[in-house]
Amino acid sequence: MSKLRFFWEQSWLLLVSSLVFGVLLAIADTAWAPRIARNEVEKFTRLAGGMLPEAKRFEPLASKIPVDAGKGKTVQVEVYRAVDDSGRRVGWAFVCEGSGFADKIKLVVAADAGFEKLAGFGVLSSNETPGFGDKITIPGGFYQKQFVGAPAGTLTLVKTGDAERIDGEIVAISGATVTSQAVVDILNRYVSAVRAALQEQGLLTKE
Amino acid sequence: MADNQTSLARTFLAGLWQENPVLRLILGMCPTLAVTTSVQAALTMGASVIFVLIGSNLVVSLMRNLLKPHLRILMFTLTIAAFVTVADLFLKAYQPAMSAKLGPYIPLIIVNCIIICRAEACASKNGLLVSLADAVGMGLGFTGALAVLALVRELLATGQIVFEFGQKVTLVSLPDVPLFRMAGMAMPVGAFLTLGLMLGLVKMVTGKRS
Repeated sequence: MSKLRFFWEQSWLLLVSSLVFGVLLAIADTAWAPRIARNEVEKFTRLAGGMLPEAKRFEPLASKIPVDAGKGKTVQVEVYRAVDDSGRRVGWAFVCEGSGFADKIKLVVAADAGFEKLAGFGVLSSNETPGFGDKITIPGGFYQKQFVGAPAGTLTLVKTGDAERIDGEIVAISGATVTSQAVVDILNRYVSAVRAALQEQGLLTKE
Repeated sequence: MADNQTSLARTFLAGLWQENPVLRLILGMCPTLAVTTSVQAALTMGASVIFVLIGSNLVVSLMRNLLKPHLRILMFTLTIAAFVTVADLFLKAYQPAMSAKLGPYIPLIIVNCIIICRAEACASKNGLLVSLADAVGMGLGFTGALAVLALVRELLATGQIVFEFGQKVTLVSLPDVPLFRMAGMAMPVGAFLTLGLMLGLVKMVTGKRS
């Protein structure tokens, strides 16, 4: 009993403060979570729309696609069909993520209507090293440009090469090999799996 | 009463110059060097720090008589973390572009020496008003130093001062000459150089006075 009393005397302020701050954070999160989610959707639409300029809206598929995220984890990926004004399919887009150099990297990846070539990728969130790894976030930068038109299959990172040539080889950002590799790994992990699932479901037939 | 007002004013003014956290105490160097590539980012970081400083100083001051000495750092960290999380969520909701630009540096305010230093040195020993004056003074001092550093870096790196509120607004635009297009000023080397020169200048000014 005396031990319990000692524990309470020592820690009551900490416990009460934790409770109060917990409630404060819960209120803030509840109040702003819808807006934060809306911001993410807007950013997704902006990024994916930039890669698929013909797209007028993005329609989510009825079911999510399971992708092996490594370490025994499977993530459910929401894949969006990009359609134009007439409802014709003009491409595909989805969000994927993986470990970068400093933190998780969250990407929007887009592919053409047949899922044969990538339309590129955009960065939803990343905390890579400013001046080095964060060059992956530059739209139209030398790193991102290499993915536009690249085959929607396995990509390979190389340290030197011709970045202008669009193929399965991606030239790394100098000084940011880990980040460059991380992006390639994320795409390799997700693109093939999503493509295979779409093919299996018969969704890649010509419209 | 007059003494109290003098003391409050002195506490407030100390943060602006005499005990400026960046220029005199050399505290909070991580965001100072990292987010000063643009004035808007520096001001956003400054506003976030002011919010967290005010919140943590007021709470710590309120609970100062209840604090157990061996648990005080834990209590400070808990308080600071709560306010930083609120600031982070607010930016993600209302300033998503700036939140993305500042990246990990907003959550990293939790370990900013300035906040915990003011909780320990001032708020845990003084009443609400003094703690508030200290938080506002220190916060403004920090924001001012960051803004000046960012102003120099952004101008020399891009030749422009640009604010983005949905769309870009160019406040200042300098001629397109090499002096105002030094890419290195936007990189870490530019931050170290500019901060070093600013600290040297401050030392020169204060040295002459003494």
